[in-house]
Amino acid sequence: MAEAPGGGEGGGGGRHQKKRAKKGNTRIDMTPMVDLAFLLLTFFILTTTMYKPSTLQLTFPVPPEDDQPKELDKVNNALTLFLTSKDQILYYRDAYKPGETQLTRTNFKDVEKMLIELNKPTIERINTYAKQLNEQKINEAAFDSLKNLAQKQKDALFVIIKPEKDAKFRNMIDIVDEMDISGIGKYAVQDTIKPEEQLLIDAEKLKF
Amino acid sequence: MPKIKMPRSSPSLDMTPMVDLAFLLVTFFMLTAQFRPEEAVTVDTPSSMSQQPIPTENLMTIIVDSAGRVFWDFTDKKVRAEVIKEMANRYKFQLTDDQMVRFTNLNAIGIPAQQLPAYLDLNSPTERKEVDRASRGIPYDDANNQLLDWIRVTQLIFSSGSGGKNPLVALKGDGNANYSTVNQVIKIFQGPTVKINRFKMITDLEESRM
Repeated sequence: MAEAPGGGEGGGGGRHQKKRAKKGNTRIDMTPMVDLAFLLLTFFILTTTMYKPSTLQLTFPVPPEDDQPKELDKVNNALTLFLTSKDQILYYRDAYKPGETQLTRTNFKDVEKMLIELNKPTIERINTYAKQLNEQKINEAAFDSLKNLAQKQKDALFVIIKPEKDAKFRNMIDIVDEMDISGIGKYAVQDTIKPEEQLLIDAEKLKF
Repeated sequence: MPKIKMPRSSPSLDMTPMVDLAFLLVTFFMLTAQFRPEEAVTVDTPSSMSQQPIPTENLMTIIVDSAGRVFWDFTDKKVRAEVIKEMANRYKFQLTDDQMVRFTNLNAIGIPAQQLPAYLDLNSPTERKEVDRASRGIPYDDANNQLLDWIRVTQLIFSSGSGGKNPLVALKGDGNANYSTVNQVIKIFQGPTVKINRFKMITDLEESRM
């Protein structure tokens, strides 16, 4: 409020000067000032929109009433990922078979490629739906439900994520994010590493 | 058109309105810009591709920093005021009105309940920072699970004020926090009294990923 009259006076003064300036032409070049003003403007616009933390939705299965944990091993097309120290991932496919199961090592860079490769049928389906959405054959809601359905198909990859005790929180976020990127709808974060699995991990860790 | 232009001798245009407008916008953006609120704890959140924005109200945030300390935060001041009253009740300490007001205006809290009155007596932010740095966060071990109380009280108060709805829950963890610590907090979330199975994890937007 206090500034408004001041600004008005300034403007009036400017006009007076302009009238006189017709003779002497003492105009100030305002270009640098405009440059500066727009620079500041751009800066503030950019900084206000840039800092926006996003969120990652995570839903845990409701713990079963009885203490019997659900048998996940019999699920088809499963992939079990162990997040271990030093940003390493160990994994095996399908159910655990004593004596047969071997862990393979990968890291967070390569795991995306692998997941996309393993989850190809689902991704292709989602891509077709996305195309239909782009061509406006289906609407957003239909796309979401179709996508959900595709992610629940039998040939969709099912991922069990088991972070080890010395894994970092970053690792977990990264892997959950990878699930989103590679269109995996069926995944679970579990913290129960079975003793036989732990043995395999420890053996593999010695090679790090 | 040329007829109108002809009488003008000078080709330079008057930039005053443009400058006025530019500065008006600058002022607007400067004033509306929300500065990052002063945090009791610095947390380096991991980045993700998710574009879901973070809710600005009805959100309870549990912060886990890199050292494994746990902080509690809630967005709405009304609920905060009620929560501190109930916590004072449960942990048997007295708070003056000034202390209550200070609590409502603060952000994340990571002080054991017994030390809260002394903490809320501190006037300057630098003094509070000092205490925050030395604090070991809200205790959450089995013997003294104050975090569970914070969550439970927040839930109870929020749902009584909003017709049985539950507050949104966000977990803000430092990327370098150990998973075992975060897992302990998640276990508390999933416990039989609070039953939080859906929550959001706060991340930064990944800058460059092609």
